[in-house]
Amino acid sequence: MPDSLPHPDLVAALPRLRRYARVLTGDLNRADDLVQDTLARAWEKRRLWQPGSDLRAWLFTIMHNVHVNQFAVRRREQSESSLDADDGPVAGWEIPVRATQSDRVELAEVFAQMGRLPVEQREVLILAAVEELRYEEIARVQCVPIGTVMSRLNRAREKLRRMCEVSPSPLKVIK
Amino acid sequence: MSSKLPLSDDDVHAYADGKLPEERRAGFTAALERDPALAARIAAIRKQNADLRDAFDPWLAEPLPRELIAAAKPARDRKPPRGRWAIPALASAATLIIGIGLGWMGRGEVLRLDGTPTTFPREAALTHALYATDPNRPVEIWANEEDRLVRWLSKRLNFPLHAPNLHAMGYDLVGGRLVAGNARPAAQFMYENADKQRISLLVRRDDEHTSESAFRYAVEDGVGVFYWIDDACGYALSGRVDKAQLLAIARVVYGELAAAEAAAPKL
Repeated sequence: MPDSLPHPDLVAALPRLRRYARVLTGDLNRADDLVQDTLARAWEKRRLWQPGSDLRAWLFTIMHNVHVNQFAVRRREQSESSLDADDGPVAGWEIPVRATQSDRVELAEVFAQMGRLPVEQREVLILAAVEELRYEEIARVQCVPIGTVMSRLNRAREKLRRMCEVSPSPLKVIK
Repeated sequence: MSSKLPLSDDDVHAYADGKLPEERRAGFTAALERDPALAARIAAIRKQNADLRDAFDPWLAEPLPRELIAAAKPARDRKPPRGRWAIPALASAATLIIGIGLGWMGRGEVLRLDGTPTTFPREAALTHALYATDPNRPVEIWANEEDRLVRWLSKRLNFPLHAPNLHAMGYDLVGGRLVAGNARPAAQFMYENADKQRISLLVRRDDEHTSESAFRYAVEDGVGVFYWIDDACGYALSGRVDKAQLLAIARVVYGELAAAEAAAPKL
């Protein structure tokens, strides 16, 4: 068992970890906190990493768990303070559309619409379509059966497609 | 999707994602030719994938914050986060370091007005002596309002505090108060055992960003003080208790604070 993680690989994974954190939290600042917490946890659990296995997928798994814990805590706090009535799946998606740095209107739309998906569907979509992880790996990251991954993927894609088709986005009007 | 085909949704996604096993792919390609709706569906998924990558890939090229790069380093190369010090080192270091500590104390610990120089342990001992002997008002907020107490002190000191649970050592929280420290406010938590013996923990923000974390011991006016400082906070445990017992309690305090620290960010 290793007493260390491959540091260069860890640094190389940072941009992807950060992207995944943004998709999870929907918030640029909270995302960086999540990356920090994930790295701390990864170092704590370094002996559980199998050399030769996909470090990126392992880190995604840790990040998923850290986020689930933090999300549960935040939800509790919110309901206690009863300040935040918005409990829907899209609560907290605060990444500005500008962050896509894209001139293509439809990309800005894709991005904004991602924020309207529940977090577990966003997760599956980013891991399957963008990170191109194997479905089995996604199941491990989310700690669910592969059937759940597939149905989440199906729903996410359908929803995204319908949103793109149906809503004549106000973005189009502005541009 | 078409019910004419023996193809599941799962297969459709796997095919579109290029993840369908080789042996199933050939049959799928044939089905595509017969079924334009299926072909359109596959094309739509692939277009969506491409759009998602186009939208999210630019993030990968953004410069990384320095803190993140630092956090990727092995833990031993980093400054330990507050509250997580090497416990085994503390006990022996406490005895070794008294001499060094005395010299160190003179450095940033002096009250820079014209009064008597005050060190952190002296400040702690004096504060303890002042309030621990007060029969009616040893604390400002009592332990039955512990949450309010901790919240208030955290706010005044501007960092998250935690009142350690010392029940295992026979001491229960009486309450706490805000006190005027040398340069800035400090928080005092008061504890009492069944014999009405009181000890107190003084906590303050520390400007001396030292990474030393060894326990040090001092006696001021008959009050024993174990104190330790890390890169952000100073802690002093004071009481008219014998040294070994006070050290044992200080270890529990330390452990409680480290545990609270570890639990706080919910890693």
